[in-house]
Amino acid sequence: MKSVLKSTILAAGVAAVVAAAPLAQAAEEVNAAFFLEWATPNQIAKVDKAYDAAMGVDVKWADFSTGVAMTEAMLSGDIDISYSQGLAPFVTAIQQGAPLKMIGIAVVYEANDCFVKNGSGIDSSNASELEGKTVAVPLNTMADYAFRRYMSHLDVDTSTLKIVDQAPADGAKSLADGAVDMACIFGGASAKAAGEVGTPIMSSQEKVDAGIGSFDVISVTEKFATEHPELVRAFMEVTEEANLAWKATDEQLAKVSKDAGMDLETTKDQMASFIFPSAAEQKENYLGKDGIAAQAAASLGLVFSGDSDGSSIAKTIDGSFLE
Amino acid sequence: MGELLSYNRAYIAAFIIIVLVAMFVISVVVGRKETAQRDKDEVFGDPERTRGGWYWSACGVATLLLVWFYFSWGVGRAYFPEAANEMCQVAKLEEVVSPIKAALPIGSRYFKSTLLVARNTDQLDELVTQVPSDVFSPDEQDELRNIIGDQRQLMANSSDPTQLSAQTSSELNALVGKISLLADKLKSDPTSLKPTEEALAQPKWGLSIIEIPVLPTTSRGVLFDTVAGEAADITTLFNKIRNHPVQNDRIISDVKQRIQNLKTATESDDFDAAAIVQRNKYIKSVERIFKRLDDGTIFPARALEEVNGAIANLDAAKDHARGGLAWIESLFFPGQGVVKSRTQCTEQGSARWLPKPTDVVAEFLTLSNPDIEAGGGYKGIPLFWWKWLPLQDVVGFFVPDSIADIWPGEYAQLGPDGTITPSFKDDLLAFARGEAYLGAIPMLDGHLWDSLFRVLVALALGILLGVPLGLFMGVSRFFKSFFDPLIELYRPVPPLAWAPLILTIFGITDDGKIFLLFMVAFAIMVISARTGASGTQLSKIRASHSLGASTSQIMRYVILPNAMPEILTGVRIAIGVCWGTLVAAEILAGTTGIGFIENIARTVSDYELIWVTILIMGILGLMFDIIMRWVIARTIPWRGKG
Repeated sequence: MKSVLKSTILAAGVAAVVAAAPLAQAAEEVNAAFFLEWATPNQIAKVDKAYDAAMGVDVKWADFSTGVAMTEAMLSGDIDISYSQGLAPFVTAIQQGAPLKMIGIAVVYEANDCFVKNGSGIDSSNASELEGKTVAVPLNTMADYAFRRYMSHLDVDTSTLKIVDQAPADGAKSLADGAVDMACIFGGASAKAAGEVGTPIMSSQEKVDAGIGSFDVISVTEKFATEHPELVRAFMEVTEEANLAWKATDEQLAKVSKDAGMDLETTKDQMASFIFPSAAEQKENYLGKDGIAAQAAASLGLVFSGDSDGSSIAKTIDGSFLE
Repeated sequence: MGELLSYNRAYIAAFIIIVLVAMFVISVVVGRKETAQRDKDEVFGDPERTRGGWYWSACGVATLLLVWFYFSWGVGRAYFPEAANEMCQVAKLEEVVSPIKAALPIGSRYFKSTLLVARNTDQLDELVTQVPSDVFSPDEQDELRNIIGDQRQLMANSSDPTQLSAQTSSELNALVGKISLLADKLKSDPTSLKPTEEALAQPKWGLSIIEIPVLPTTSRGVLFDTVAGEAADITTLFNKIRNHPVQNDRIISDVKQRIQNLKTATESDDFDAAAIVQRNKYIKSVERIFKRLDDGTIFPARALEEVNGAIANLDAAKDHARGGLAWIESLFFPGQGVVKSRTQCTEQGSARWLPKPTDVVAEFLTLSNPDIEAGGGYKGIPLFWWKWLPLQDVVGFFVPDSIADIWPGEYAQLGPDGTITPSFKDDLLAFARGEAYLGAIPMLDGHLWDSLFRVLVALALGILLGVPLGLFMGVSRFFKSFFDPLIELYRPVPPLAWAPLILTIFGITDDGKIFLLFMVAFAIMVISARTGASGTQLSKIRASHSLGASTSQIMRYVILPNAMPEILTGVRIAIGVCWGTLVAAEILAGTTGIGFIENIARTVSDYELIWVTILIMGILGLMFDIIMRWVIARTIPWRGKG
């Protein structure tokens, strides 16, 4: 009698557990990476859980401080989608054979600035005077890429410069101390600090004229793209909707600035310089066969490791997830 | 010579591994014999027991290297140089078939359709509970619920095997047939297949930026490569197959129209802005699910069972075709095997971040090549070399420019004919600035020297200032009480915490890095000298005092020798900690140094370079330690016997 009771309880227990977890597999979760202090409209969708609703899964967001860390997290399987990874870490990852894909352009923004110390009398018209001087550059980042583009545009021989590898915050400090003559900076706070004591070597207009710009990409592991194309597509769709719905109203700005961890003013300034290309524009101008993304990736590859074979990087660009 | 060695590194590794195994076996045999011999005469705890024992050192080194060789796939590459290429071809097939597998239980436990239905049902359930009653009229609310009900019907129809359209069914059958043909092809004998010239001309495994050659170099590889190429077409075909049951067509066009009606109603002027946003949002989420269902990606489970079976069959054929490779892979290639990404094949698992010993040595040789033009060194600076150091640079560093300013007279001005006649004052300025040529002396140069220089200078300063202070703190009430709070306050602060200050105070030159290392060394030296001095036996001091020794004699002949063991142990510790802090110090403003190389290598995930720097620092630290042990044995034979 006792054993009958026991097995009944056991069976009921098992049944309860099974009933309570209908298709545990269906309620999977997606891990996405983003940058703090990098304000984008899709953060509204992120806060409002629009991603979760549209994709039908839990989307977990983890914040990162560098694109290299994003790559590492994607390789170890902790992150499926990286929103707004820099082009530089993406390209170096591909060169190391990482199974990643570029599926979209997150943000197009002005190239990072190189600040020349005020009072040195150097600007874009006499940039060759930089030769023999000391320059702080965070090596192998988008700021490094911008630095090399500026120098080649201004005909400065970089081999004559003394290049010091410094993180942006340190570079800004060294520029203020006069330890370096020019500092190339990324990131809002550091750029602001460097702007106090220096002037960008090329103005916004000069950068546009010279065709020097940069952009962040949306990257995803190949495994995730293959196994869950519908989730990737939904992700891109929500991102596109969030970009379209962006009107920079106070309410929207407040939401984004809170999520980005910045004050309202900085958020406003930062986003004013950002462009969020529509899906159609991305497909037409950026992700095509010889689009902007492929060209930029190829020239970046050349800068960082002397690997001129840009075509191999172009293979990892896939615009098919944009509806 | 170097080229030849580098090219044949797999064979060299094969030889080294045999030597290592022999070394391991011999050392274990000798070690056991020796231990057995001495076992009877030794007492446990006797320090003499630790003396000698080269065989266990040999055994330890051999074990370490063998483990390294194994987990970096060095053993695999040495004896199966073609295996990675073949694994790459298999990985190509895996990559190509993965979209099909992802939709089937064989790849992801559930049918993709099952997951989609479950997910969509969850979302529809949620939508039903969330119909916004304030912006939709009761009729509209009913309409929305009906639409959602129809969407459920769409899923039910798609999941019903009896409603599977003849076209979809025949497409699926054709697919199964093609996969079976492919499986048969995999089972065929590959020996007649020959790799192309282009494939054979590829750089060997690990010899270029692209780690594993992508084109197949063996007949088995060619077979897999061809099959993967054909499988790609099958996958494209599979991705295009859609399930549109006839019953769904009517519902779809109907629902489309009804959603459109709701949208049109929203556009009429009856609603305020907030209501329009809310209405649109809700309709949008209903429509989103509808669009997915309209895609026709849900299939009855039974319809795909055959595809699942065919893929299982293909997997079996794959295992058959891999033959011995499967064994080799599981025995010699720990980790997740080779994975094909879009551009190349890469090693996964431990081999991804652990480069092979021979590759590390090759990387080290490239790095230590002083010929910058030939690609040696790093970022235009050799690893360890020498250069002519102009003497004026040293003079310019030490002599202040103001010397010229206070010298009587005027600096030269350009004359009316455009010539400049420098006066003595000008020459003096040039001298003080280090612009006058004074000859040159040979000087060491390179990343390694720069790091060494920083550590050695910091250590020397730490010893010169720390030891006297420590000794005085050990014997004087004033010194102890005055300096104790100071030293004890700054000692526990991690060196990196000073970094932001260092940059502001010292700038980007060497002195900041040296100061950081000095602070580490200084604290250790003070503590050890103090402990040594205060640990002197009082009886010895009293004895020398009663024999008439002066204060300085007591210090010189009693306290210092007694403190020496502690001081030298302190030096040993300080060297280790200085090396440990070096990488942090060289992050500050990287221009040269081992830590600088490592920091840059990290940003591009260049694991070979990272390991080279780790090993250089490890080996240098070990060398210093050996030197210190020798110094200790020579200078203070009384250690541990006081």
